[in-house]
Amino acid sequence: MMRWSAAWTVLRKELRETLRDRRTMVMMVVVPTLLYPAILVFMEQLALFGQRQLTAEPAAVAVAGAEPPLVAFLARDSAIRVLPADSATPAAVRDGAAEAAVVLSPARDPAAPREVRVLFDATSDRSRRAQEVARDRLDAWGDTLLAQRLRGAGLPESVARPLAVADSSVATAEQAGGYALGRFLPLILVMMTLLGAFYPAIDLAAGEKERGTLETLLTAPVPAREIVAGKFAAVALIGLAAASVNLLSMLLTFQSGVFRFAQAAGIRFALPWHSALLVLLALVPLSILFAAVFLGIAVRSQSFKEAQNALTPAQLASTLPVIVVTLPGIDFTPALAMVPVVGVAMFFRELMTGSPALLPSVLAIAATAAYAALALGFAARAFGREEVLFGGGSGRAPGGGWGERLRAWRTGGRGVPLPAEALVFIAVLALLYFHLGARLQAEWGERGLLVSQWGLLGLAAVAFATLGPYDARKTLALRPPAPRALLAAVLIALGGIPLGWLIGWVQVRLFAPDLQGLQALEQLLRATDAQRAMWLLFLAALTPAVCEELVFRGVLLQSLGRELRPWRAIALSAAVFGAFHLSFESALRFLPTLWIGLLMATVVWHSRSIFASMVMHFTNNALVVLMLWSPRLRGLALDGEDPRWAVVLAGAAALAAGLWLLPRRADAAGPAEGAPAAVPAPAWAGPQPNPGDA
Amino acid sequence: MIELDALSKRYGDFDAVRGLTLRVAPGEVYALLGANGAGKTTALRCLATLLKPTGGTARIGGFDVRTQPLEVRRRLGFLAASMGLYARLTARELLRYFARLQEVPPGQVEGRVDEVVERFGIAPFADRLCGRLSTGQRQRVSVARAVVHDPPALVLDEPTLGLDVLSGEAIYAFVAAARERGRAVLFSTHQMDEVELLADRVGIIAAGRMVEEGTTAEIVARSGEPSLARAFLRIAREAA
Repeated sequence: MMRWSAAWTVLRKELRETLRDRRTMVMMVVVPTLLYPAILVFMEQLALFGQRQLTAEPAAVAVAGAEPPLVAFLARDSAIRVLPADSATPAAVRDGAAEAAVVLSPARDPAAPREVRVLFDATSDRSRRAQEVARDRLDAWGDTLLAQRLRGAGLPESVARPLAVADSSVATAEQAGGYALGRFLPLILVMMTLLGAFYPAIDLAAGEKERGTLETLLTAPVPAREIVAGKFAAVALIGLAAASVNLLSMLLTFQSGVFRFAQAAGIRFALPWHSALLVLLALVPLSILFAAVFLGIAVRSQSFKEAQNALTPAQLASTLPVIVVTLPGIDFTPALAMVPVVGVAMFFRELMTGSPALLPSVLAIAATAAYAALALGFAARAFGREEVLFGGGSGRAPGGGWGERLRAWRTGGRGVPLPAEALVFIAVLALLYFHLGARLQAEWGERGLLVSQWGLLGLAAVAFATLGPYDARKTLALRPPAPRALLAAVLIALGGIPLGWLIGWVQVRLFAPDLQGLQALEQLLRATDAQRAMWLLFLAALTPAVCEELVFRGVLLQSLGRELRPWRAIALSAAVFGAFHLSFESALRFLPTLWIGLLMATVVWHSRSIFASMVMHFTNNALVVLMLWSPRLRGLALDGEDPRWAVVLAGAAALAAGLWLLPRRADAAGPAEGAPAAVPAPAWAGPQPNPGDA
Repeated sequence: MIELDALSKRYGDFDAVRGLTLRVAPGEVYALLGANGAGKTTALRCLATLLKPTGGTARIGGFDVRTQPLEVRRRLGFLAASMGLYARLTARELLRYFARLQEVPPGQVEGRVDEVVERFGIAPFADRLCGRLSTGQRQRVSVARAVVHDPPALVLDEPTLGLDVLSGEAIYAFVAAARERGRAVLFSTHQMDEVELLADRVGIIAAGRMVEEGTTAEIVARSGEPSLARAFLRIAREAA
């Protein structure tokens, strides 16, 4: 039962301390209210100054091949200084002797258009401006010639212009201003909310730990959750206040009318009060989300500096995707609304533009609130844990230089790797695979893929397990599967695969993605004869079934399993497996790969045998190859691009049978530390597979 | 009042505390001696509910630190070696804050704060930010913070660490007063003179185990050494 009085006491104290912190106050109040408006006005003045500098002197344009009347026409223009024809060369323009050059081809056939080339340097502002001026004057000269010819022929000028096109935006000045605000203000609001919460979160968690005050605080008769609630509310309020002050400051600055560019463009910056209120409303869950995420990360750090390092990736991951709001052609869809941070930023954009759709707006707020609740749980869990408070406690973590650490690692026999060791190993593999593997595949094609798989994954996993201070058999789960487990694995694979197709199909229906990447992959895996099919089965089915399993169900799953509850180890290993299969071509592979990863990890966890998942992995990938080779086989499983529901239902039954048949591990409760009472039944007892894993 | 019964604390394959047993009665002052890394702070943190014992039990006022941590904290005044003061709160604000967290009834908070401010001579700097206090002043505020709720048990981890003689005297006076008021006091230290001055009983631990226990006179006599300092050195070396 939460006692709000304790949380309130903590909140008041944290706010009092924070308001006395000069650094936070500068970030929260001084920067937005004084610095940003000053910077904005200064930037505009600087831009105007630059513009004036550019136009202060006439553009130096060399002209070659022009008749005297055209040269005289250009020379009369105060914006142009005509240079002699010998400067009308690319070299002269490149060297800056001429800012631009106009080169006319000889006039031969009066009926044919005469070619006029304007040379300029696209990397020089002066040259670009000279090109614009020259181009404009040449168009005017062309119009003059056209008018003369029409008059000569006794025709009205309108003969050459049957259509007089004029643009006229129906948007009011306020709407245009809202549109402009919506392109950049959301990003600033997100950043300011984030920055507002950033330092307080570090100070209230890691800073308090570093100063030794958290130890004192936790001896008070207050449950950790009440302390977290107070601290979290303080960080969220500070983040919210920072964002609100920023919003207000920005709006006042823009509405002050000091910006000449806005006047020139006929834009008026104004945000209706009800829209401003909605923005503030949406800032609440966003502040809560940042506060909870940052607190959860910061409290796991031992010092202010460590927390800063740990939070920086989270900060970048939170802000970079928000750039989406500035891009043209991105609509506020329900799917986008549910992306953390991006959804609420899109909501801000739509509010400023004045036309937020109801469903995505509600989804954005609700999803952000849900993520915030999850993040809050993440933060609260850390506070009461002694290893978080005292950094593991034993004080025997290897320190010193890298040589010393390496020696400590080599001599510290530990059965299977620690999760951190395995994750570092996977991260190195991923980098190698991304940089070296991609190069090998680009250079050598399929042979490169083969070398990447065996060299960068399979052999690397074996080397890691055998050369490190580990029991290689345990680390790689090298144990023959019991016949029953093997049968269960086959059933689970055959049953899960159609459900994986279903996942892919639903994704396509929901998001209508660009399928070119997947189609290209299918083309590569499409066999034209039996020999090619055998090669593809070896390359795309057997090879990953061995190599990827050694890495993901071997090293990764076994190491996670030593410290995490089984379902967490299974889920995390599957997520990493899915992420490993993300590619530039298509993000669609993530969920189906995650799904098959869950199934394979479940089987390996209970059977303790990597060979069971190798069979599953091979089955999954081989089916893809065979179905692409044989349209008849494909027709049995799929109805065009849609799954056959009978197959899906049969798959679900096979999956259920496989899970029932799968022998349960005696120590399924997991590791000693924080283990659950019993193994959780796979909640996803409905399966699916992975057409994209090949 | 304070009871450790076969208390153990294990980190991975490292035993920080092994089967430690001791009792401190109301009105008794117990000093815990040990070399650095002997397990003193770990044992005291277990008592303060900051660490969970991996074996045995620790109780304060009959309440188990593992199963009734909040009850334990209500009866405990804990002083960590790090002092733990908030630099941007004044001494008075800090005492008020902990009085509230320690569930002192709202109507009595100011009275309790005034009382400890008076008792520990904090008044001259009570309204100064803690970050601007001297080490001695900070330690006085820390002790006042630990007792602002008037707990029956006190656990002090090296309370005189880094203090000059005058500031140390204030702590000695406080411990002596706490004994007279019937409080159970358990403190760790490296200062033999303060043990001789304050402690009714002494426990010496090495490598997480209790290797000697008794009054100062008993320990000195059993060791055959002329002083507690020499006795401690001998016992610690033999246990190593």
